[in-house]
Amino acid sequence: MFLAFALITLGAAFALFMQRNAVQAGLCMMLSFFGVAGLFLLLSNPVAAALQVIIYSGAITILVLFVVMLLQSHQEEPAARPGLVQKILSAVLVAVLALGAIKLVFSSSALANMPLEPPNKELMTLHKLGEQLFSEHIVALEAVGLLLLSAMVAAVILVKKEAQ
Amino acid sequence: MDYTFTFLGLDIPIIPVAWMLAKIVVVFAGVMGLSAVLTWAERKGAALIQDRIGPNRAKFIGNFRLFGIFHLAGDGLKLIFKEDLVPGHVSRWLFWIAPLLAFIPAMMGFAIVPFGQSFEWRDFTFHLSVIDPENGMGMLYPLAIAALAVYGIFTASWASNNKFSMLSGMRGAAHMVSYEIGLSLAVIAVFMQAGHYDPHRIIEAQTGLWNVFAQPVGFLVFLVCAFAETNRLPFDFAEGESEIVAGFLTEFSGMKLGFLWLSEYIHLVTISALMATLYFGGWKIPFMPDPVGLLSNWLGPWIGPWLGVLLSIAAFAAKLLAFCWFFIWVRWTLPRFRYDQLMFIGWKVMLPIGFANLLFYAWLIHRAAA
Repeated sequence: MFLAFALITLGAAFALFMQRNAVQAGLCMMLSFFGVAGLFLLLSNPVAAALQVIIYSGAITILVLFVVMLLQSHQEEPAARPGLVQKILSAVLVAVLALGAIKLVFSSSALANMPLEPPNKELMTLHKLGEQLFSEHIVALEAVGLLLLSAMVAAVILVKKEAQ
Repeated sequence: MDYTFTFLGLDIPIIPVAWMLAKIVVVFAGVMGLSAVLTWAERKGAALIQDRIGPNRAKFIGNFRLFGIFHLAGDGLKLIFKEDLVPGHVSRWLFWIAPLLAFIPAMMGFAIVPFGQSFEWRDFTFHLSVIDPENGMGMLYPLAIAALAVYGIFTASWASNNKFSMLSGMRGAAHMVSYEIGLSLAVIAVFMQAGHYDPHRIIEAQTGLWNVFAQPVGFLVFLVCAFAETNRLPFDFAEGESEIVAGFLTEFSGMKLGFLWLSEYIHLVTISALMATLYFGGWKIPFMPDPVGLLSNWLGPWIGPWLGVLLSIAAFAAKLLAFCWFFIWVRWTLPRFRYDQLMFIGWKVMLPIGFANLLFYAWLIHRAAA
């Protein structure tokens, strides 16, 4: 099951970059988010899975697609073809970075100390999520609330200016 | 008695697996059948409201007409055998996949709804919902599935690659995302009242008083948003046949069109089921909190439980059908809103009312606890 969901996530993410068509790429993005939701389910966290589907697959992707559709008429000039040197250079750079990242992960002490069995197989519920949010993570929650409020006020001001 | 058999090295418990398969088949067939019948009910209902006769010509074996219900078979056959036209200017791959993207989420939504009272037989407890209770996902599941419904319209309209379809997709995406917020706010108030978000618990919490009486304002918000989510009149902006031809349906024909149509009616069935579950006590019968237990006492352990279960299923079906009819009734009664009115209602009426409703019940619960 893990392999299936991981393959869906990675395959869709790969297809997202290979697609030339912006809307098809958006649909691939949705599929990739779906794979992540499946992984959350396997971690016995159905709440996170549901929220992932509601917010990422449902709302965010559709907003991205909406903007793509709005900008349909606007044709951008095609990007210049990358030269051979650029291609080789970027491939080498990516390979080195990826190797470094993998090495870092494998040599970290956190991985060595990680237990093979998941610490608790209890099902995550909305109740537990709420308790956690309002006790342990209360500062982060308030900070996010403030951030979202300021973003919303800023958006309203921007729109108001345009109207005047 | 041994209830398991071994298959490919796995011990499979026969009864739970058979029960699960039976539930899937029954729910799938039931929802499909009901939404097919609804296409006929829509035509007949329209005729009734507009003082016409409506479909009454199709005959089956001799002169057997039965209020024209055989038009249903005629419609289905026509759609299947019609030439499947794929216009040259469409995005071919998306054009094929769009009806499925509309149909699959529509079919998935019903899985969480309990359509009857749970009962016990031998050592097993049988739940009458495809997904068993206490799964941690609860009523978040239909909300998540509803969030995906917009992809069918969106993909269909974009794949069609013409101006009217494109307009329809943008309208549909904008209004479905807007109204989902109001819908979720109304549902959260129900969660708080029940103290849980599992549909079985929500139904249990409505013993004695249905949520429609406990939260009338929340129900109104949910109802209006439900009409918007199912793309029904007075909110059928994605279709809008008098303004943008047929919107996202314009280029489709044959069974592709059939699937897009059918998914609209499946949405209707699902949202009616959710309304019955959240606000009208699901399978509960008024003044009879526990039909299975009551009938077992009256009629003995042999027939009683089965009759009780059947009674609860009948109660649920009655509520479901009443709401389906309500949707049809409204469609042929109210005209379509203007687009700015739609956005006004969504963001400036339903959202604040939903918030006020939520805060009011939060305050009530807080006061009761203090």
